[in-house]
Amino acid sequence: MEKTIESRELLDVKDLYVNFYTYAGVVEAIDGVNLLLKQGETLGLVGETGCGKSVTSLSIIVLVPPPGVIEKGDILLQMEDRTINLLKQKDRALMKIRGEDISMVFQDPRGALNPVYTVTQQVGEALLLHRKEELCRRVLQELERDISEANTFKRFIYKCEKKIYEKMMNTRERSASLSALSKIPFVNRYQGRLRNEIRKEVVRLLKTMRIADPERVLDMYPHELSGGMAQRVVIAMALSCDPRLLLADEPTTNLDVTIQAQILLLIKELKEQMESTILYVTHDLGVVAEICDRVAVMYGGNVVEITDTFTIFKKPSHPYTQDLLEAIPRPGKEFKSIRGEVPGLINPPKGCRYHPRCSKAMPICALSKPQVTQIEKGHFVMCHLYKT
Amino acid sequence: MKARTESPTIKELKFILTRIKKSPLSIIGIVVIAFFAAVALLCPILAPVPEGQEDPYVLTHFGWTSEPQPPSPEHLFGTAQWQYDIFYGCIWGTRTAFRIGIIVVAGNLIIGLIVGTLAGYYSGVIDELLMRLTDIIWAFPGLLLAMAFVSVMGPSLDSIVLALILVGWPSYARVIRSEILRVKQEDYVEAAKAIGCSDLRVITRHILINSIYPIIIMASLDTGAIVLSAAALSFLGLGPPTGYADWGQMISLSRGFIYKNAQDPLGYWFTWTYPGIFIFTFVLGWNLLGDAFRDILDPTLRRR
Repeated sequence: MEKTIESRELLDVKDLYVNFYTYAGVVEAIDGVNLLLKQGETLGLVGETGCGKSVTSLSIIVLVPPPGVIEKGDILLQMEDRTINLLKQKDRALMKIRGEDISMVFQDPRGALNPVYTVTQQVGEALLLHRKEELCRRVLQELERDISEANTFKRFIYKCEKKIYEKMMNTRERSASLSALSKIPFVNRYQGRLRNEIRKEVVRLLKTMRIADPERVLDMYPHELSGGMAQRVVIAMALSCDPRLLLADEPTTNLDVTIQAQILLLIKELKEQMESTILYVTHDLGVVAEICDRVAVMYGGNVVEITDTFTIFKKPSHPYTQDLLEAIPRPGKEFKSIRGEVPGLINPPKGCRYHPRCSKAMPICALSKPQVTQIEKGHFVMCHLYKT
Repeated sequence: MKARTESPTIKELKFILTRIKKSPLSIIGIVVIAFFAAVALLCPILAPVPEGQEDPYVLTHFGWTSEPQPPSPEHLFGTAQWQYDIFYGCIWGTRTAFRIGIIVVAGNLIIGLIVGTLAGYYSGVIDELLMRLTDIIWAFPGLLLAMAFVSVMGPSLDSIVLALILVGWPSYARVIRSEILRVKQEDYVEAAKAIGCSDLRVITRHILINSIYPIIIMASLDTGAIVLSAAALSFLGLGPPTGYADWGQMISLSRGFIYKNAQDPLGYWFTWTYPGIFIFTFVLGWNLLGDAFRDILDPTLRRR
């Protein structure tokens, strides 16, 4: 890959603040997060439960669930010709971006599939929402072929179908006449062609997900799928429209280790094929070492350290990262955990949020929030130890 | 490539059929309701409209004696006060019962669905407003409030229907709201939003389809209960004018004839027994059908 493309920025999260207004008080879930994703890289977002990893990824797709509110900040997404701020987009524009430019893979594959729809229907929904034009074009090509071969009567029917599909292709919004047409029995047979086209496309997608015998899986309901299979379907759904950014929110946490390895391999391969960028949220440092190019470590709503994967394991700089790596259980070594517990974010500790648990805490840590310092090229740490 | 022999729809239908076959009660329910539906359809054949009667729902007087006459070949179930034919009233009353039950339940469903969905999905201020409105209606005993509505609007069949709709929707709204609150937390709703579905699409395609079953069961159980309430209002004289083909009305006509005299205390049994049996079986049928629906539809009860 060329250097210029690799270093291009895709997503820039600037000074993001997210609060949750609960009955118990205001939870400051995200407290000034800065993240930069380059085109084609995999950024790992690690941290313990409740540190704001998931909220960060949900903010990027602008789907923070209530009572969460994005207080301030900018999320800049590089489009083909311009940069847009996701937080300033209208709902309709966001709906187009979701799925088409940014899509998400969720933690629990079974939960992410609607139990009442078959695999084709679910994956097909994403296709219909974003790639209707392309599918209609394929149907039209097929019709063109049929028209040239058909007799007079059939040709008339095919020409009617052609008109319908041309209209379908050109209307982006819901059209009343089309939805009325699709409700009339027998007349709505014309949808069969589109449905076939969707099936073909879903089969193709499932094949790229390395699902054996995709035709059989097409008409299965989520409860008939195994965990690994369900996660493959979810990934197929997310990748159906070739998104440029994939948010993977702990996609392998609920799977057993062998399936986890397969899914990781799959993600790695797909990334190379599709040249998309991945934000990989996880708490598993092994997974990070496996697939990430760079790692951002989060603690209590802050990104405390961000650097490439190699450095984070060789030369961790923030005390939290150091403690986190120490806490990985290894055979023949005494297990060391981080003392204290995760602070509640309703009244987070003043200053550096890690100072009550930090072994290297200084008086200033309790007073002021540390600045982000670059200690080496591309290695940022938010700690008072590294003041310039 | 081996194609599947049957589509999911047909598989589902087969499953429903085996489910129904397993429980005799649901068969009874379906048979009873089918029977009543047939009666309602065949009214003009079963009980031909007497000559000179303009509105088939308004009963004809076969004389003006106030004493009910026992069953005879002309009047199969006997006659009520002022010589109304009980058989004719019961048969044509089936149509009235269906009309009341279905219109009221449909009205309840529509209002309840809209209110409950808006409240559940959009939470916040809209939720508070709509739910307090339902609380206000729930604060009054249903039948009393319905009576009040009817007396304001004037006694008639239409005002009974309208009053029962106004009184009945809050329970639907609350059930649908709580179901939506549960379903909207699910990951697949988030996933649907994440692939770019609009609110309307998320609600109709992903949330409602997973939360509508309790409401359908409730509706079919309610259809019977609504007929009971309508009969009660009718019995109290808040219904259609005297002589309308309505089961509540028929019972109301027999009010003075429950006890005949010391020698023959149950001499007028036919006046209240026949309409009573009709109401009883109709309500029972809907209840059994509701149970059948629950067995079929409730995903938590189904074991494959």
